[in-house]
Amino acid sequence: MFKLNLKIALRNLWKNKGITAINIGGLAIALAAFILVMMYASYETSFDKENPNYDNIYVVGVTYPEFKTNYVAAPLATAIKQNFPEVESAGLITGSSFELTIKNGNNTLFTKNILVADYSAAKILNIKPNSGLLRPQGDDRLTYLSTESMKTLFPNKKDNKPEIVGFGASNSGITGTIAGAIKNNTHSNFKFDGVSIASELGKNDNYNMNAYTIYLQLKPETDVELLEQKINNLYKAELLKSNKVTDVKSISTFLDPLANLHLRPKAGNDAAYKILIALSTLGILILVIACINFTNLSIAQAAKRGKEVGVKKVMGAFRYQLTTQFLVEIFMQCLVAVVLALMLAELVLPSFNHLFQVQLSIWHFHNGLFWQLPLILCVITFIAGIYPAMVLSGFKPAMVLKGNFSTSKQSYWLRNGLLVFQFCIAVVFIISLLTINSQLKYMRTQDVGFTANQVVYIKNLTLFNNPSKLGSVSFEPLREKMMNIPGVKSATVATYIPGGTNGVNSYSANGITANIDFVNVEFDYFETLDIKLKEGRFFSQKFKTDNVNSAVINESAVAKYGFKNPVGQTITGSGIDYKIVGVIKDFKSQGFESIVQPTIYTINDPHGDYKTQIMVKIEESRMAEVLATLKSQWSQINPKDGEDFRYEFLDELYGKLFKKQEQLQSVFFAAASLTIFIAILGLFAFAKYITTGRIKEIAMRKILGANDLQIFKLINKSFFVMVLIANLISWPLAYILTKKWLETFAYRIDIPILPFVLSALITILLTIITVTVQARNAVKANPVDALKYE
Amino acid sequence: MIEIKNIEKYYANKGVKSYILRHVTTSIKQGEFVSIMGPSGAGKSTLLNILGLLEEPTYGEYHFMGEDVTAMKERQRIELYRNHIGFVFQAYHLIDEMTVAENIEAPLLYKKIPGSERKSRIADVLDRFNMVAKKDLFPNQLSGGQQQLVGIARALVAQPSIILADEPTGNLQSAQAEQIMDLFKKLNQEEGITIVQVTHSEKNAQYGNRILTIEDGVIKEDKATRLE
Repeated sequence: MFKLNLKIALRNLWKNKGITAINIGGLAIALAAFILVMMYASYETSFDKENPNYDNIYVVGVTYPEFKTNYVAAPLATAIKQNFPEVESAGLITGSSFELTIKNGNNTLFTKNILVADYSAAKILNIKPNSGLLRPQGDDRLTYLSTESMKTLFPNKKDNKPEIVGFGASNSGITGTIAGAIKNNTHSNFKFDGVSIASELGKNDNYNMNAYTIYLQLKPETDVELLEQKINNLYKAELLKSNKVTDVKSISTFLDPLANLHLRPKAGNDAAYKILIALSTLGILILVIACINFTNLSIAQAAKRGKEVGVKKVMGAFRYQLTTQFLVEIFMQCLVAVVLALMLAELVLPSFNHLFQVQLSIWHFHNGLFWQLPLILCVITFIAGIYPAMVLSGFKPAMVLKGNFSTSKQSYWLRNGLLVFQFCIAVVFIISLLTINSQLKYMRTQDVGFTANQVVYIKNLTLFNNPSKLGSVSFEPLREKMMNIPGVKSATVATYIPGGTNGVNSYSANGITANIDFVNVEFDYFETLDIKLKEGRFFSQKFKTDNVNSAVINESAVAKYGFKNPVGQTITGSGIDYKIVGVIKDFKSQGFESIVQPTIYTINDPHGDYKTQIMVKIEESRMAEVLATLKSQWSQINPKDGEDFRYEFLDELYGKLFKKQEQLQSVFFAAASLTIFIAILGLFAFAKYITTGRIKEIAMRKILGANDLQIFKLINKSFFVMVLIANLISWPLAYILTKKWLETFAYRIDIPILPFVLSALITILLTIITVTVQARNAVKANPVDALKYE
Repeated sequence: MIEIKNIEKYYANKGVKSYILRHVTTSIKQGEFVSIMGPSGAGKSTLLNILGLLEEPTYGEYHFMGEDVTAMKERQRIELYRNHIGFVFQAYHLIDEMTVAENIEAPLLYKKIPGSERKSRIADVLDRFNMVAKKDLFPNQLSGGQQQLVGIARALVAQPSIILADEPTGNLQSAQAEQIMDLFKKLNQEEGITIVQVTHSEKNAQYGNRILTIEDGVIKEDKATRLE
């Protein structure tokens, strides 16, 4: 019997080739999207999951009134380990703050990210060099380079023996030992070009130096909340003991599980998590829409299958046999769709990987697809098939066998409801997409308060903090040499560039103490970036005190400290009483999402950071020429950095802040087009059934004198109303969603009306076109044929 | 074989009962060939549907082969379909996606008859109806009369004790109709299959041995046909 049912199913599908293709194709496309989303979601949620202690690892973070951070003082780790037996081990890690040049003969490697970890941290976080994890002797460091880095330095190396390399420029004379290679796990929170492992870190640190991140491995079944509380108390007690901080009430610590680190760290933003949730929702919705197409079309086809059901019932078929038969039919279609979807997903995967910067692969045994896919297949078969199967198998033979049987009334509400639902989602997607477009356009065109497009950022290893930091040199000789090159307008150096993160330190003025952003700069910083002055003046070589105790603050800082006449006032921090010489207008150094922070700009700052980020403003027309000159003369211009001239354009760096939003835009573009496409596919097939069902009515009306236009209007009317209803339902929903999204920006557009109007126009237009194309056949048909007795 | 007593059927519409059948009482014995006649809307088809358990009477008793079917569960009723009742329809109601042979095979599948026996029974029926050459055609490739032959073959192959036919020749030309009626008569006389048919045609009614005339839901006349 199964064989026969299979035959019937195949013949039926073949008879309705067009509809079948639409059904399966639509489902396959939706499934492909869903598979990609699912793979991405499982990739994103399984960072570091290979770690055997995954569930027991926590990072210790500190909450300050202004922000949260994972950087804490090293002694806390020792204190925690000593006081709490439920802590199996505590380790410290930190990243290196600047780029390092490593050389082996003519092979040069620029490391961006050397992870510094103590032995315990390496053990907790499963950081294993290829030769095995060893505890370094005494104060020695064991430095390992990632396999790729090793390849660059030692292309012919086969063994795992240590190698001697040179650090910095080839004339620097500094050498070091690389202990071996280490595999860089890209599916981990801890990515690196190399790892430097110490026996112990931060031995001489005090509670004022928040330089490390502490990882704890807890014993299984530890009460984390209790421990969190205990660590909080310990930290406060230690702070009071150290006498450095008096106000500990506003400071607290927290524990953040390793599982949260990648997507939603407590100290950081959860944008990635939100995007993942949004993406998963989109994937599921698209799949549901495709399933709805299935349901709708199967119900629409019911009239045709009704006779079969009636006949089979009077021949002695049980209802469950018929239900199974229809479910099997739908299952077969879903199966084909799954296979097609896998092929589609494989095709799209490269661009998907590129967009999300991941390396996903379908044919990877561990990605779970092998057990998830059959499950999905069953679920979609159930969603798409259960209702039609129940409806079809429930037909009363006496009704269907009488002849004039139609199902159009029975499931009228359901079918139309489903159609409205599909269009609702499509409308929400269109509105969201258009709003995202407007916001991104706003971000690209809006004045950010500084000009980055003629500024080149030069990577550099020399410290220019002269005289406040050891090993620093003055920037002046560099500036002079660079200014001698025709086309260079100005040059400066600073601790941070716009688009990166600023440092935070405590400053007090006007009786208020607050943690505010700081940037240590050199002369010409504001001029190079074309930042606007509000009052006072910029730093200038003419004033002798400028590189001793002068400060420039921004408008937000003025507001924060409540200055009436800021210029000439004093602001204290880093052990210096700074005199405010100028106020600049706020500029969006952190992009559009976060509000401009109160920021202080100083030249001399003993507690500041390293000034290494060189920025040069170059005349646009001579850009290539100047860059070539800089490259050829770099070893003379900046002898301590060596012969390697590396640069990036500042506007490109700043543009990276928009990257997540641009990703979101692409995703919504794909989602909106897919939904519309699938919904229109469904509508296309559905309209065909509706018009076939009304063919007698149309013939009658034509005989009674209706012209073609009137009939087109008649058929379109119900669809038009449905799309209109869908729009009305979606508007408030889309309004709320886009508003929520826009609220994640500190600088945003007002919700525009245009997307709402446009979405209505688009959906209505597409609907009318689709339905009219289908109705043509019914309208053109000769009424005599339609009215003939069957 | 069939005993019905005081069968009533009505539809209540806004409190107004519209009667289809009123106080219908009759019995049909094994081996009879009964024709139900009457004007359009008299309730002939409803009566046949009730006899075939496709519709339930609003009221009344119905015994099929000594069993009370009004109290029957769905499953028992389906068992009756499988083993005792064969249907023939005016519009043939062959399944379009199945070939002639497959259409005939379908009821046997539900009876769980083993494959080899199914094959021999289908071959037998096809042979008897002279349709061996057409067994792989689809219904829309056949003429109306041929389709109805397949419909009857399908009803017969399950070896029912009764065939219920709702205007079996209603869509056929007279030559084909005659052929079908001859077949019914032969089945009735040679194989002793009980046949109940609804018909409009006096001529077709004469093929049977008893005519029930219904008007406005009431049996007006119940007489034997004249013996040939």
